[in-house]
Amino acid sequence: MIVVMSGEATADDVRGVVDRLHELGLQENISSGAELTVIGAIGHIIPEYEEMFSRLPGVVEVVRVTKNYKLSSREFQHVDTVVDVGGVKIGGASSVVIAGQCSVDSEELALSTARAVKAAGAHILRGGAYKPRTSPYAFRGLGEEGLKILAAARQETGLPVVTEVLSQQDVEAVAGLADMLQIGARNAQNYALLEEVARSGKPILLKRGMSSQVEEWLLAAEYILNQGNKQVVLCERGIRTFETATRFTLDVNAIPLAKELSHLPVIGDPSHGTGRWSLVEPVARAIIAAGADGIIVEVHPSPDHALSDGAQSLTFENFAKLMTNVGRVAASVDRPLATG
Amino acid sequence: MIVVMKQGAAEHVPEIVARLTELGFDSHPIVGAERSVVAVIGQVYPELQDELEVLPGVHHVLRVSSPYKLTSREVNPDDTIVEVRGVRIGGTETVIMAGPCTVESEDQLMSTARHVAACGANILRGGAFKPRTNPHSFQGLGEAGLELLAAARDEVKLPIVTEVLDPRDVELVARYADVLQIGARNAQNFPLLREVGRSHKPVLLKRGLNSLVEEWLLAAEYIITQGNRQVILCERGIRTFETGTRNTLDISAIALARELSHLPVISDPSHATGKASLVPPMSFASIAAGANGLIVDVHPSPDHALIDGPQSLDFDSFEQMMDSARTLAQAVGRPLLAAAAVPA
Repeated sequence: MIVVMSGEATADDVRGVVDRLHELGLQENISSGAELTVIGAIGHIIPEYEEMFSRLPGVVEVVRVTKNYKLSSREFQHVDTVVDVGGVKIGGASSVVIAGQCSVDSEELALSTARAVKAAGAHILRGGAYKPRTSPYAFRGLGEEGLKILAAARQETGLPVVTEVLSQQDVEAVAGLADMLQIGARNAQNYALLEEVARSGKPILLKRGMSSQVEEWLLAAEYILNQGNKQVVLCERGIRTFETATRFTLDVNAIPLAKELSHLPVIGDPSHGTGRWSLVEPVARAIIAAGADGIIVEVHPSPDHALSDGAQSLTFENFAKLMTNVGRVAASVDRPLATG
Repeated sequence: MIVVMKQGAAEHVPEIVARLTELGFDSHPIVGAERSVVAVIGQVYPELQDELEVLPGVHHVLRVSSPYKLTSREVNPDDTIVEVRGVRIGGTETVIMAGPCTVESEDQLMSTARHVAACGANILRGGAFKPRTNPHSFQGLGEAGLELLAAARDEVKLPIVTEVLDPRDVELVARYADVLQIGARNAQNFPLLREVGRSHKPVLLKRGLNSLVEEWLLAAEYIITQGNRQVILCERGIRTFETGTRNTLDISAIALARELSHLPVISDPSHATGKASLVPPMSFASIAAGANGLIVDVHPSPDHALIDGPQSLDFDSFEQMMDSARTLAQAVGRPLLAAAAVPA
């Protein structure tokens, strides 16, 4: 349920609504726009409340949220959410680039990658320490040692770090180091994990499951928001279709759709989405042109020697080229790349 | 295997074909204004390459690894440009095709044609023969629709693209249309593909809803092997599990088809998304990914459209979209093609 305050509503009127919500055992989510203040009510809502709140001073309208997802819906909050990751703002006026290795393989390579992406203008460093691999025999990441390498890379470059967490028991360790926790596509509907990462209080990068509908993706975000953590960034990373020429099918359509349905920032992952390095740049440009708040891209000093996902990783040179060309698109749609 | 002839060596093509017949191969000769090629059909062997390379007029002989040959960029590294009454599709500029999904009436078509022309569209679209999922649905105006399209072309000076459904209608539609469209539902209707391949009109070939990129390029190969190289590929959304959009516009396929083939690739964000609000962002995404153009549904009053209203842009939205598309296309170095008058 959404309580819309009139343009003339006073601070006392807003407090009156919030006090009444608290009396009823409900929580509030206040978004103050340029013209209107809108108060979202969180908790068990019964139809009678609509009538009750519409009579309070300063209230112009009470609206019921029709979507299955409530807290993540744009009906609930009109203004865009801006997520702050170690000082980098995702969902604001600028487009954000997250880049780095698929998995952290050695300190030397990780540091050289971090330096290269920083020099090319990336804003956040990515790198996997805990890797969800389809085959149990594949390299599954360096674990805690990988986290330490990422910490060293942040120390040197000043870039905030995002890394994936696979298991509830690792949330504390990863949250102790990372600036943002990533939930991978394979855990997109692992609800116990979603609730656990939410309680860490860290910003969450939530990838769309490869067979999740947009509604299911937003409901996954709802699990996190429902724990009181509003710092969620959605990430489209490709869905499973019949096409085999690309690794997945990056659903660019889902980006403007999610932005229309939700107030949360949305980014795209052209590396996993296509699985082919030659398609990463054109698809990255498309993601930004479609209105995404950023991209997340895989870069490796020597893609041929990468322990995972080499075929989709960009060389330093190609990443620098991508930054220039994506930067042009971002500027032309009035979402220039964030500077420094 | 592909025999590439020397420039201006078209007169030697019959000799090549005769030699191939002698050796027990079928062939598809494609005679071009500058360069001709002959595709060899059958179980080729490595020595054949040497045997053919010594024949008169032969420039070189290529072994093509992909199953599609004449469509492949290996055979023709340079982009193919399809020219429609002076409108060049496949060059460095981005081409906009727009108009109603279906021709409903003279008023509806003419007002839309005038508006899209005024906004800078290069080609007018409109369906006269409509492939409808339900046989009880409106099937289009048929020849009367073609006459209206021709009248609109005369007035607004834009070439027209319209769909043909039946091999028996190809001659009729080709009499009116500047570009023949093969719709997604006929993407693998091989007799129809062969028929438009024989028509000498440029063909707009939509990707099937469940066609792999490779199957789409093989469909183009059917047209080209009939001697018609003027093929424009169009990505229009594939069927996936997602129901939040009508189909899923496969942006990666645009970039991939441009990489694998020399043919121009355009995008149809209207049919792909089925939602007017998503048409502008997906148009921008298509251009940014490297598409050579767009084909967009526009209707004077989408709420009253007989077909596909929810995905049609109204006049104001189309105008706004064109303004933003112009800025973006310029920024990515593929400016919108300036509107040009149709030569008389």
